[in-house]
Amino acid sequence: MPTHYADHAWHGPVTVEENVTLARDTYRIRLACPEIARRVLPGQFLMLRLPGESDPLLGRPLALYDVVAGPGGQPHSIDLVYLAVGKMTRLLTAVGVGATLEAWGPLGNGFPLTPTKHLLMLAGGIGQTPFLALARAYLGLQRYGDPPRQVVPAEQVSLCYGVRSGDLLAGVEEFRRLGVSVHLSTEDGSLGYRGLVTDLIAPVVRQSAGACRIVCCGPERMMQAAAEIARQLGVPCQVSLESPMACGIGICFSCVKKIRDGSGHWDYRRTCVEGPVFEAADVEFY
Amino acid sequence: MPLSQAEPVRTAEARLDVQLGRLRLANPIMVASGTFGYAREMAGLVDLSRLGAILPKTITRQPRPGNPPPRTIETAAGMLNSIGLDNDGLEAFVERQLPYLASLKTTIVVSIAGESCEEFVEMAARLEGVPGIDALELNMSCPNVSHGVDFATDPRLCERVVSGVRKACSYPILAKLTPNVTDVTVIARAAEAGGADALSLINTCLGMAVHWRRRRPVLGNVLGGLSGPAIKPIALRIVYQVAKAVKIPLVGIGGIAGIDDVMEFLITGATAVQVGTANFYNPTVCTRILDALPAALGELGMRSVADVVGTLDADPSPLHRD
Ligand SMILES: Cc1cc2nc3c(=O)[nH]c(=O)nc-3n(C[C@H](O)[C@H](O)[C@H](O)COP(=O)(O)OP(=O)(O)OC[C@H]3O[C@@H](n4cnc5c(N)ncnc54)[C@H](O)[C@@H]3O)c2cc1C
Ligand SMILES: Cc1cc2nc3c(=O)[nH]c(=O)nc-3n(C[C@H](O)[C@H](O)[C@H](O)COP(=O)(O)O)c2cc1C
Ligand code: FES
Repeated sequence: MPTHYADHAWHGPVTVEENVTLARDTYRIRLACPEIARRVLPGQFLMLRLPGESDPLLGRPLALYDVVAGPGGQPHSIDLVYLAVGKMTRLLTAVGVGATLEAWGPLGNGFPLTPTKHLLMLAGGIGQTPFLALARAYLGLQRYGDPPRQVVPAEQVSLCYGVRSGDLLAGVEEFRRLGVSVHLSTEDGSLGYRGLVTDLIAPVVRQSAGACRIVCCGPERMMQAAAEIARQLGVPCQVSLESPMACGIGICFSCVKKIRDGSGHWDYRRTCVEGPVFEAADVEFY
Repeated sequence: MPLSQAEPVRTAEARLDVQLGRLRLANPIMVASGTFGYAREMAGLVDLSRLGAILPKTITRQPRPGNPPPRTIETAAGMLNSIGLDNDGLEAFVERQLPYLASLKTTIVVSIAGESCEEFVEMAARLEGVPGIDALELNMSCPNVSHGVDFATDPRLCERVVSGVRKACSYPILAKLTPNVTDVTVIARAAEAGGADALSLINTCLGMAVHWRRRRPVLGNVLGGLSGPAIKPIALRIVYQVAKAVKIPLVGIGGIAGIDDVMEFLITGATAVQVGTANFYNPTVCTRILDALPAALGELGMRSVADVVGTLDADPSPLHRD
């Protein structure tokens, strides 16, 4: 039975090395934190907090975007990509290089790194953030974790990435440079396919040379639709949930979601320690 | 004596142990029930052996799924929660969580909540003699579960629960009270009369958050309990009032996030404290407080925690700046 404890988490001050705009309201922040960078896996997250503040009080969960090596080639820093939506993320946009933030992580289970011929990553909005590191892992470009995890390279890695409007697309070129085949959609038709990103799933699955697996992250309605499409296509699918969290380490029981067990019964499970990645078929969405 | 003239005390000499009725703690820093999981969750981040006591999440007789999400929402300098005592029930706790807790050297205070006076007594009797338990805390004040019966708002019920538990087991008893009453001292005296070893003050303050554009409450359960720095002044006020009303020791709870908060509670009349919400946003807060405690005592020229308790100078003249 897997343990659901944040046993590899580290808590301490982290220094901001960069905080730059990627797209409308979207920023990439680089934090020096070798203890987290060394251990983190794709799909894991960390909690970030403005130290000394009591409003906002709680940490905010942000997914690993990328691990950056230091001068010696060892994992040294972490990139996060965030959308400025509210109290904490708006304040974060004003944080300068050299500032100190407080972080704890790595947290959560991350994506299963099981062999797959075709990995289809489905992102809605800011839900693209966990996929850059995952793509690197599956393209054999980087090994994550301590000890570093060996991943059998996939033959094909695709990203279906949908946003409301084209100016919200972030990091598309980075994905392309790795060798990911990128399929874009916008709800307003300003770029790529006009409509919902879930419409792209079936055509991309059909292009698969071999067995396909879908991983998705984004708004719940998108993940619910993706889960249903994956079921119809008979393709395995995992979702990374974005439940609101207060602690990220399993002690507050805020972040629960109804998850079904083998017998079909549901129980509230903590997404911070038992997730955020779950088998799509096990999630009771609403 | 002005602070600056106080004798410096070498920190290694400071005595941190405190006595809560029949319960002795190695130091006054406990973690509050419901804010530290079942402790195993924190083993990777916190040296659990340093804590004065661990209070695992409240258990009920039967399993409870808890309330639907969203269960928490941040508010100004605090948070509202309506977890609803999500737990797998007493038997699952004894079987799955207690063995780990029992393996720790730390004092374990098990928090229990009954739906009736009889159920509190039954739970205490069931836990009597079970290895790994050092004391019980009676959570008579969870705002998310009582079906109109709140054992900490009715003094007669409160006394019955405490005296019933006292007869049913040999553990020291902490009675945890709610601030959501007109006069807490009435309830505090009832718990004292029932035989409580100490009083834990306070549980969360009943509150609410609203999405005005959607005309909807934010929490799935509509109402929730407010915790965090926002409630510290309320908790201090209650410790102050209850300290004058009862003779048994008090455990201060509410918004404690650092050494200054701890010292404020001790001086106001708490013999020990529990750290709650701060564990969520500063997972190593308790050990940071413990690191700072001897020096803080030293600053007051005190050699032990017990010497500081209740030393508030109630002289109403304003403080002079130094
Ligand atoms: C595991 C995990 C990984 C995440 N990774 C990223 C990431 O890589 N990049 C990123 O930009 N965001 C990510 N998020 C979401 C991010 O945590 C929230 O956007 C952030 O907490 C908002 O904080 P705030 O103070 O700016 O907004 P707040 O002021 O707290 O809230 C602003 C608005 O957003 C809503 N909101 C807040 N949190 C959430 C949430 N989790 N889901 C839906 N609505 C919410 C609030 O109800 C409110 O309407 C992740 C969430 C989880 C659980
Ligand atoms: C998420 C959450 C869950 C809680 N669960 C419990 C509980 O199960 N039993 C209990 O006695 N108190 C519970 N409490 C109350 C705390 O133990 C504490 O009394 C209160 O939060 C005030 O302290 P704080 O401001 O330091 O958090 C909970 C508080 C929070 C925030
Ligand atoms: S966020 Fe606290 S238990 Fe998951």
